[in-house]
Amino acid sequence: MIEILLVEDNPGDVRLTQEALKDNKLRNNLSVVSDGVEAMRFLRRDGHYADAPRPDLILLDLNLPRMDGREVLKEIKEDEALKRIPVVVLTTSKAEEDIIKSYNLHANCFITKPVDLDRFIQIVRAIEDFWLTMVKLPT
Amino acid sequence: MINHPPRSGQTNLDENNGPGLFEELLEAAPDAFVIADEQGRIVLVNRLTEDLFGYSRGELLGQNVEILLPARFRDGHVSHRTHFTASPRTRAMGGAADLFARRKNGLEFPVEVSLSPIKTTEGMHIISVIRDISERKRTQTLLAKQAAELARSNKELEEFAYVASHDLQEPLRMVTSYLQLLARRYKGQLDADADEFIAFAVDGAARMKNLIEDLLTYSRVTRHGQNFTDIACNDVLQAVLTDLKFAITDAQAEVKADALPVVTGDRPQLRQLFQNLISNALKFRSGKQPEIRISVLREGDDWLFSVGDNGIGIAPEYFERIFVIFQRLHDSKTHSGTGIGLAVCRRIVERHGGRIWVESQEGHGATFYFTFPVKNTKFFERESDGHD
Repeated sequence: MIEILLVEDNPGDVRLTQEALKDNKLRNNLSVVSDGVEAMRFLRRDGHYADAPRPDLILLDLNLPRMDGREVLKEIKEDEALKRIPVVVLTTSKAEEDIIKSYNLHANCFITKPVDLDRFIQIVRAIEDFWLTMVKLPT
Repeated sequence: MINHPPRSGQTNLDENNGPGLFEELLEAAPDAFVIADEQGRIVLVNRLTEDLFGYSRGELLGQNVEILLPARFRDGHVSHRTHFTASPRTRAMGGAADLFARRKNGLEFPVEVSLSPIKTTEGMHIISVIRDISERKRTQTLLAKQAAELARSNKELEEFAYVASHDLQEPLRMVTSYLQLLARRYKGQLDADADEFIAFAVDGAARMKNLIEDLLTYSRVTRHGQNFTDIACNDVLQAVLTDLKFAITDAQAEVKADALPVVTGDRPQLRQLFQNLISNALKFRSGKQPEIRISVLREGDDWLFSVGDNGIGIAPEYFERIFVIFQRLHDSKTHSGTGIGLAVCRRIVERHGGRIWVESQEGHGATFYFTFPVKNTKFFERESDGHD
């Protein structure tokens, strides 16, 4: 079972991601948190996240309440225990400064959410296929 | 030339013959004249000096000229004056600095002063011609304020268009995506009405998406403009024709172009300009085989470009309207598009300091003209300052 953590505050996007992953060939388990603070607690198995699975892949939105995606990215990539988990920034932003900032913080890739549903589903599946079947990651 | 600057309280230079030509001129002069000796003592003033400074002649004569200055400038002025007397020549006072004078009642006002040395039998004298420039300064300040206000409101409008179109994308993405999901999953399972309603909603959302993207494109012309470089228009045109290869073949269009000049501008925008105009020429073709001609000629300081076609043409009452954002002359079934193309063209041309217009006869083709300054240096400098 593939573990995916989605950090996303828009319930509409959460549902769309779930729909996109539902019929995919890979068996996956999608966990969802809706802000940066929760994301870090999930990853560090803090409090009621004590039994949280360690994700194989993180889908991270940039604009989040409380602690935004850029800060989450920075913390993950500076944490010895977490920094090898691939982080895909999945955001509505197309801004050059967000792209540069994300890569400077060692995002594994940056993707702008497409407006079109089919494109969105395609992209979510492509992310999963690429990062979880094609890429060789340390075990 | 003054031979004997008077030391008494009067301006009468030639006491035997009444006021001479010099006094008449001096008294009638539209500026204040103050004549001082080498030590800076006032020896002669005209009537306007009295009016301007609020002193009577008697109060000024024999005083140091510093009496006419705000206190904070007086010490500095004494040394400037000594310096001037050492190497006297006619010049404007103060260089580029703003000068201020002081009225008897303490009020300050901005002035322009020119200084001329004169040699007399009683040594050197210095004529100061003083002009009150309060009105000019007020006008300048007002103009600068209005220009700043205009720039601010333009920028704000642009910002608004950008933010609105940018932020609208997010909720629109939700509407579009869920409508599509609804259509996909439940098509044929609800009744025919429901399918029709969903289809209209999907269509509306798709059009709105195009509008928002176009609005973003439009606001990016000035927001994300690049610095101007030298651009060979021939290369740009070739690139555009390659991009439009299929559309051109499809329409069996014949495209002819003059040799085009090198201009100074924003390359991607120039490309977009040619692309939009040629696409339009292809799109609004008539039944005939489309012929598109791109020409250029030099007109004074401008290049005059034209893109002409033999298409359906435009009625004169629409010559202006077609350049306004989201104005369309045809329904979307006949000719698709949101009506952004020519608005973007106009914005691009105007950003480069040119003009764009159309000449056409309905049913007999249209020719779009635009000018480009031969030397765009001024715009180039402005752009590279980063003031966009």
